[in-house]
Amino acid sequence: MLTHRNASPVPPGRVVILGANGFIPRALAARLRADQVAWVALGSAQLDLTAPGAGPRLGALLQPGDSVVMAAALTPDRGRDPATLMKNLRMAESVALALAAQPVAHLVYLSSDAVYDWRHPLVSEATPPTPTDLYSTMHLAREQVLGTAAAAARVPFCVLRPCAVYGPGDTHNGYGPNRFARSALADGKIRLFGGGEEMRDHVWIDDVAAVIALALAHGSTGHLNVVSGRSASFAEVAAQISALAPRSVTLEFLPRAGPVTHRHFDPTALLRAFPAHRPTALATGLPRLLGPA
Amino acid sequence: MIGFIGLSHLGLNYSLATAAHGFDVVAFDPDAALAARCAGGDFPIEEPGFRELFAAHRARLRYTADPATLAACDLVFYALDIRTNEHNESDTGPLTELIERTAPALAAGATVVLLSQVSPGYTRALAARLAARPDVRVGAFYYQVETLIFGAAVQRAMEPERYIVGAANPAAPVPAPFAAWHAAFKCPVLVMRYESAELAKVAINFFLVSSVSTTNTLAEVCEAIGADWTEIVPALRLDRRIGPHAYLKPGLGIAGGNLERDLVTVRNLAARHGTDDRVVAAWQANSLYRRDWVLRRVQRELLARVRDPLVAVWGVAYKQDTHSIKNSPAVELLRALPGVRFRAHDPAARLPESGFTHVTTVADPLPALDGAEALLVMTPWRVYGGIAPADIAARLRGRLVIDPHAALDEKACRAAGLAYHRLGC
Repeated sequence: MLTHRNASPVPPGRVVILGANGFIPRALAARLRADQVAWVALGSAQLDLTAPGAGPRLGALLQPGDSVVMAAALTPDRGRDPATLMKNLRMAESVALALAAQPVAHLVYLSSDAVYDWRHPLVSEATPPTPTDLYSTMHLAREQVLGTAAAAARVPFCVLRPCAVYGPGDTHNGYGPNRFARSALADGKIRLFGGGEEMRDHVWIDDVAAVIALALAHGSTGHLNVVSGRSASFAEVAAQISALAPRSVTLEFLPRAGPVTHRHFDPTALLRAFPAHRPTALATGLPRLLGPA
Repeated sequence: MIGFIGLSHLGLNYSLATAAHGFDVVAFDPDAALAARCAGGDFPIEEPGFRELFAAHRARLRYTADPATLAACDLVFYALDIRTNEHNESDTGPLTELIERTAPALAAGATVVLLSQVSPGYTRALAARLAARPDVRVGAFYYQVETLIFGAAVQRAMEPERYIVGAANPAAPVPAPFAAWHAAFKCPVLVMRYESAELAKVAINFFLVSSVSTTNTLAEVCEAIGADWTEIVPALRLDRRIGPHAYLKPGLGIAGGNLERDLVTVRNLAARHGTDDRVVAAWQANSLYRRDWVLRRVQRELLARVRDPLVAVWGVAYKQDTHSIKNSPAVELLRALPGVRFRAHDPAARLPESGFTHVTTVADPLPALDGAEALLVMTPWRVYGGIAPADIAARLRGRLVIDPHAALDEKACRAAGLAYHRLGC
């Protein structure tokens, strides 16, 4: 649940995006550019948050009026091992040290719905986070690290937890719309586990960027799930992509590795936080995913 | 002479029902303006049948702010409603203060009955405190469960199903004035220890909540799978384990304050005594989730499609036949959408003074529809059911009607070309 410091949106000062090369940071930068908000994106090439001394260096780059969006992370495709966990935590530690050296106007942490146990079929902001692997543990631990640092530095703090994000330019290729679209276009096949029965909420990339921009403009604090509020099965997604693809697509059904799990999100808190936000339906997003970039 | 202390909803209804059963009644409240207002027939509550019953029996009722009049009563009821805060926690402070202040004015040996909604443990502690005071000379002290329902309070006060009485010694016969009062209402009287009676009140509400929560959970499943809850209900009513009067109408969670208060009470007791309250937490979560059913439906069917719509709302009370807006889903909906323009009507309830500048209120329901993209029937007042859907369709600019409680005729709405939505289907 979010609390807005600005009842009406106020354009933020400079937005510092940590994690310049990621899927969401690039979409956020595009959104801020469109909104004519000043922003700077720092990727690992400019500032490696895992490196010794990264915290003070980041602190020196920050200004008191900045809003910081912490989106830098090594995602599961880069490793799910303890070493990856520790690198991710070092990034959070660097941001915490930077905040101590230079408090800013607002900190937004881009977390993940992975913090919720997969056994919760209907998730809301009231659902207790229950990490089940090192990746979800990482996000929850970073929420705590950054929340503690923000409180100490008196920096308003907001946590956004997107569910599965889809859209052009995804760097992960996780199981879902992005991978389905790529394989449909590349080799005319979509591979589903079991019958693809699992229900999931897929949120359009521009919706995620829009919600981050809204949280920045409202100076929001608290935590919020960034979702569409409408789940669809992987089989339904695959069928829609097959119908949209410019070539014939075959569905392949692979043996399922685990039991069927479903996940739905209650979007009420999102609707209450940003009543004017209109989530993009799959029927609208998927044609954009397969269309010209 | 029978006395009632506290002229809130509870005291007003019980004192009137007592007068209607042939007793002379003194109805006291320290608020002189309130007592004078009631004496003039201007009551701060809205209940079907209340005004008619008052007109018929006002000769036996004396509303007063003079505590000396209580000295003539050999049976006195404390009947001040217990307010709850935004967390649905009871505040017994005003009741305790009222009792402590007025008890010395009661006659020596008078039987005292506490009707207010108190938590388990309250009555025994209070009785012990009063017994220790030399200036209080009252006789036996009882707690009696009240089971009034907003919108049906007069009927339930006049024709109770049973009385549940908490006593210091359940084996002892109740004093004659109290027994005579019970006899007038011709219903079973169950006497038990204080704590049992206090928890019996909570238990009744818990069974209601469990029925409501079960109904709402399954109604949502109906909406998802294409079933219709109204087709299932008759089968449940014919089941002896469920019964013809069970709460099987889907709704927008639990509202009104009383049920929510008891959920909080039990969670507090469970925390203190280490008992399992997880099902209670689930009911609370389900209630909040169901409260926002209309919000989700409005977003999906209207706000995602139409820019800057005007929306008509019929009903802001938490249910029909009451002016109460405590935990009202309508109020919460309006509060959640400050950027949407609303035009609202309610026959009795009023919105809070602040925070609703985006809502225009109107005196009649039909003008609320003019130019509106959608109609939300948030409270199923009978008057709304009497309005022809064709008239709604003629004045509504859009076609969307969200009527969670099915106050309108669904078939007629569809026949009038309206896009009709209700709970459970």
